[in-house]
Amino acid sequence: MSVRTHTATFAITLLAGSLLATPLMAQDKPAIDFYGVKSVSGAFASYGKYAEMGSQLAVEEMQETLDREINYTTLDTEGNAGRAIRKVQEAINQEDARLFNGATLSSTALAIGKEVDKAGGVFMTPAGADELTGSECNAATFRWSVPTYGAIRETLVPLIEKLPDAKRWYTITPEYVFGEALLQNAEKVFEEYGLEHVGNSYHSLQEQEFSGYLTNAMSTSPDVLVLLNFGAQSSNALRQARNFGLNEQMDIVMVWSAGLDQLQELGADNVEGIYFGAQYWHEVDTPMNRHLVEKVKEAYDITPNYPLAADYIMTRTMLEAVDASGASEGPELIAALEGRTYQGPTGEETIRAADHQVIKDYYLLQGKGQAEMDDADDFADIISSGHSFVEEDKSVCQL
Amino acid sequence: MDTKTGAVASKRNGATPLARPGRIRWAPGTTLAMLVVVVLLPVVLPSATLATEILIFAMAALACNLLLGYTGLLSFGQAIFFGAGAYCSALGMLHWQLGLFSALLLALGVGAVLALLVGLLCIRRKGIYFVMLTLALTQMAYFLAYTLSDWTGGDNGLLGVPRPPIALGDTTLVSLASPLAFYGLVAVLFAVIYIMARRITSSPFGSTLLAIRENEARAAALGYDIRLFKIMVFVLSGAITALAGALYAMLLNFAPLSNIELLMSEQILIMTIIGGTGSLFGSLLGAGSIVLLGDILSAIWPRWMLLLGVALIAVVIFMRGGLWGGLTSLLQRARRASSHDKEA
Repeated sequence: MSVRTHTATFAITLLAGSLLATPLMAQDKPAIDFYGVKSVSGAFASYGKYAEMGSQLAVEEMQETLDREINYTTLDTEGNAGRAIRKVQEAINQEDARLFNGATLSSTALAIGKEVDKAGGVFMTPAGADELTGSECNAATFRWSVPTYGAIRETLVPLIEKLPDAKRWYTITPEYVFGEALLQNAEKVFEEYGLEHVGNSYHSLQEQEFSGYLTNAMSTSPDVLVLLNFGAQSSNALRQARNFGLNEQMDIVMVWSAGLDQLQELGADNVEGIYFGAQYWHEVDTPMNRHLVEKVKEAYDITPNYPLAADYIMTRTMLEAVDASGASEGPELIAALEGRTYQGPTGEETIRAADHQVIKDYYLLQGKGQAEMDDADDFADIISSGHSFVEEDKSVCQL
Repeated sequence: MDTKTGAVASKRNGATPLARPGRIRWAPGTTLAMLVVVVLLPVVLPSATLATEILIFAMAALACNLLLGYTGLLSFGQAIFFGAGAYCSALGMLHWQLGLFSALLLALGVGAVLALLVGLLCIRRKGIYFVMLTLALTQMAYFLAYTLSDWTGGDNGLLGVPRPPIALGDTTLVSLASPLAFYGLVAVLFAVIYIMARRITSSPFGSTLLAIRENEARAAALGYDIRLFKIMVFVLSGAITALAGALYAMLLNFAPLSNIELLMSEQILIMTIIGGTGSLFGSLLGAGSIVLLGDILSAIWPRWMLLLGVALIAVVIFMRGGLWGGLTSLLQRARRASSHDKEA
């Protein structure tokens, strides 16, 4: 579909939405009580700050679009899973809260999902744990981010096609559940494409010094170095790899990058020529993303990043479903979300009914040098995009 | 002050003074104050869940106080017992269908046994070496919990922890599903432990602990088995901390990995020091102020931890006996002022 067709469809949808909404505006609809669970303070405050901006922007917009009062309350997790659960419990018991979104930490998201499910509410999260729509799935929990399976396939497979001579691949993996899931999926891809997995280095979650692992990688002479860690650890590993000059000896791919804010932190010198997997990129050419970029510039004078985009679209989607179904909790709202297709920042996104996983694109980016950047945030080009998800019948989720 | 007798040297530091050996003291003042606070907490605070969290951490701080305030042992190992209590009670309920009191007893037992082992190892060294040993063991416990993810849930935490009712056989007597009912249980347990700890610290055993804190060599010269006393207080502290951990898992229906990390030990220590070492009521003040400050300040400013840091510095510099020390000195000044007025 061309860009022009996309724009037209989007405009017609908005127009139709407003026209349909007009007769309803006259009616007095009850206010919607909506709760954003954000790490506004504490260790993950840099993430929570943007997530909060995204939710607030969506609430402001939807208040106008739906012509309906929305009471938005922020629950600060303080970067502490225990505090987050206690605050969610309080909101459920004291204020009859039923609509929640957010949570940065997987552990927090998993536990909130259970609490909200018990209360008969709905919770949508961008957290990373595959268990959210896998072994620990439940009726209340919906997940926006692409699981490890899709992240690996949408990063490694296009790279394999782009680099046909790259036969030897080395991985660096954080030793815990999430890293292990990425590694297992990567090994399946190597096997499927007949590539040699020449080695893997495990490191602890506390590790900040990667020279030993990088030396091990160099000794096996790989064609591609695959970083399966994330956040500060992947940034440190990449910086040290560049210091060692590894980028001149092999290609480097960071499968689970945080997107724009991580590339800003690394700077153009470090990202040039490096491949990055990303859940969202602000240069994606879709109607909703263009709308989001414009609104974020207007409201905050910044370029939207992953946490902002994720929490924006989750808030918007939930509020739209509440308005469409007329229910703010329970099976009716869940039914309204299940199978729902909407225009998201990554294009057309669909919530799969079987496991409540949002089917959306994942991106492979390639970093640019300073001279090639069109603006201060133009750190990378999109090399490919697409979606890969475990088929419904193979999912361990039993809803 | 919690205790009445007094060595002048100890008073200077705002710590509990040394008791006269053999004298059993019973000061109902702070116990009554504790009971009043426990009754009022869910009424005054916005939610019973918040009040429950305060009492659970007050219980952990009280246990830490027995070590730090009464025996002079600065331990970073409290998270081991807190986390172990949470995991063991949760696993017992999830896999062996243990009832409420069986799960709590399991936590107490596991906490006591672990504390015995940790104590046996750590008290072989004194001062900074003792501190380092407790710190190293906490790190080891964290990585053990992290590695045994099939049991503990690893980084994702242990989910779906039940909150069983108070039952007699198959008959449910009281459901603890409501926050207020669960608060009731925690309040009763806290009050029992507080009174028990008061009795212990006021007993000859407590006086011996104070003697060890004040001058270990002299206490040993008097014939006390220092090692045995230290191990006993370690076991007592570990069991109470594990009970607090079990109650916390039941409150959240979840046992996060953060329960067993070093940060938890630090948090419990900070609550103990802020409240006032050597004062059991101070533990309640310390836990209450830290939990409430976090709750209030986080709503005002995202960088609220800076303000908490300032508050901690202020308490340490200007209230060397912690909040309880500050409160008692204020009361004393007020009393002195009123007696001066009367004389005038």
